[in-house]
Amino acid sequence: MTSKEIIIEKLTSVFREVFNNDQITLSNEMTAKDVGSWDSLSHMLMIEKVENTFGLKFKLREINKLKNVGVLIDLIENKTTC
Amino acid sequence: MIFTSFNFLIFFPLVIIIYFILPEKWRWKFLLISSGYFYINIKPVYAILLLLVISTTYIFTRLIDATDSQERKKTFLLIDIILTLLPLFFFKYYNVVNEATFNLLEITHLRWPLPEISWLLPIGISYYTFMAIGYSIDVYNEEIPAEKNFGIVALFLSFFPLVLSGPIERAPNMLPQFKGKLIFNYYKLVKGLQWILWGYFMKLVVANRVGMYVNAIFNNINEHNGKSLFVATLLYPIEVYADLGGYSLIAIGCAKVMGIDVMQNFNRPFFATSMSDFWRRWHISLISWLTDYIYTPLAFHFRRFRIWGIVIALMITFILSGLWHGANLTFIVWGTMQGIFLSIEALTNKKKKAFVRKYNLLQKGWYILICSVFTYFLFAFSEIFGGASESVTAGFLTIKKIFTDFKGDVWYENPSMIIITSISIFILFVVEFKAEYYKGQFSFFGNRSLAIRFLSYAFLVIMILLIGVLDGGQFIYFQF
Repeated sequence: MTSKEIIIEKLTSVFREVFNNDQITLSNEMTAKDVGSWDSLSHMLMIEKVENTFGLKFKLREINKLKNVGVLIDLIENKTTC
Repeated sequence: MIFTSFNFLIFFPLVIIIYFILPEKWRWKFLLISSGYFYINIKPVYAILLLLVISTTYIFTRLIDATDSQERKKTFLLIDIILTLLPLFFFKYYNVVNEATFNLLEITHLRWPLPEISWLLPIGISYYTFMAIGYSIDVYNEEIPAEKNFGIVALFLSFFPLVLSGPIERAPNMLPQFKGKLIFNYYKLVKGLQWILWGYFMKLVVANRVGMYVNAIFNNINEHNGKSLFVATLLYPIEVYADLGGYSLIAIGCAKVMGIDVMQNFNRPFFATSMSDFWRRWHISLISWLTDYIYTPLAFHFRRFRIWGIVIALMITFILSGLWHGANLTFIVWGTMQGIFLSIEALTNKKKKAFVRKYNLLQKGWYILICSVFTYFLFAFSEIFGGASESVTAGFLTIKKIFTDFKGDVWYENPSMIIITSISIFILFVVEFKAEYYKGQFSFFGNRSLAIRFLSYAFLVIMILLIGVLDGGQFIYFQF
């Protein structure tokens, strides 16, 4: 598996757990609008879980620039391979 | 001049006519001149204050952009926010700080009595201050480059449809429109006029009529029994919604007529099925501002506490939201209540969702009805402190009377008052119910038949002239 595929697999289980939905499948264009329980109240819970799962720390500026899941995947990849 | 004044009914058409006669590239400059004229006519001294905020914002956003040093950018942003907040803080909380300081001095026997000064709140200050700070933060976050044209920044902060009571707009949405092509668009003109008409109906008919009844009761809590207080409590949210919602619609409509798209400020709030849902539908521009610039940084900072970090962020954000309305303790109580409601919902969210899914409750009409009614009750109850009462004592007295004095007749001045108020609420409810649950089906304003459209317009105009309250009637949200 490529590192990206590993990231997507781990991220999928984070999403499924935080947003309480076993059916979630990630796509690059996916945004909060596409997921029922994903709102400003659960967003930061997801971010914290991502940080714990991948062992990294985000900056607020990076969070604000997350336009969709694709950008998040790229960000995780950048931070875990440097 | 407020939207419901006669002067505005002359000012606005005149502005529109000149606006569309002028060549396109002069239009934004004309809007700036009109906005200046509009604001100066309120109180020239306050215009100077607005100009100071505009200048501070312009200078510091350009400074932030000009430097590459992150440290410097942060410093500039901090100074800018403090300077911009100073006038707002001074005017809004002047008395509270004064009193607290005087009390302290009294206790320590250092008080030297001097004549009191009474400061009237500069109109619009809560709104343009937030727009200015939002813009500075956006520049710092590199959401938008600092605008080099002073006139454009001035127009953004003084734009007359928005300057008095919002919606609180954002630079990334407004600046490109002001700098872009301001061309005549027939569809936008009609849509804008429709919103203006409906806004006037909401304000002049619903808000003012309901307000007459509700204010008579809340201004005289001691004289009314618990039943009347209960009815007034249930009606008050309708008054506030029709007032601020109606006003916002007029503001958004005026901008639309000129081809400028402004964000929605309300989304049929009384059909919300939870307080979280409610706060995505009520005073959207203020709440989304607080979410983006206060809640999100706080939630991020406290994320290691997981759900409790969310709770802390919610409490702080909504207490600040209460304080935005004023320095009265009632607003702090109100803000705390909202924070508690939302925290409880956040904490019980997973269990509730599982329960709802298990019994497929979202498909059941009665469940949606119960949720909507319960949410409405929660909000109405919190509004006892959110504006209905002058003081926390009055608020508690109201609640006490509702529970202990629930007898006798519900007060009313005369039967026609009840009928007229009920009709106006009914019309509002029917229109919104249709829009919420039967989207796209049979529209009045959007009907293909010209006859139905014009009958609808005529009906509303007649209603406004017949049962609207046209004299005075301040906008509730002017005072904030």
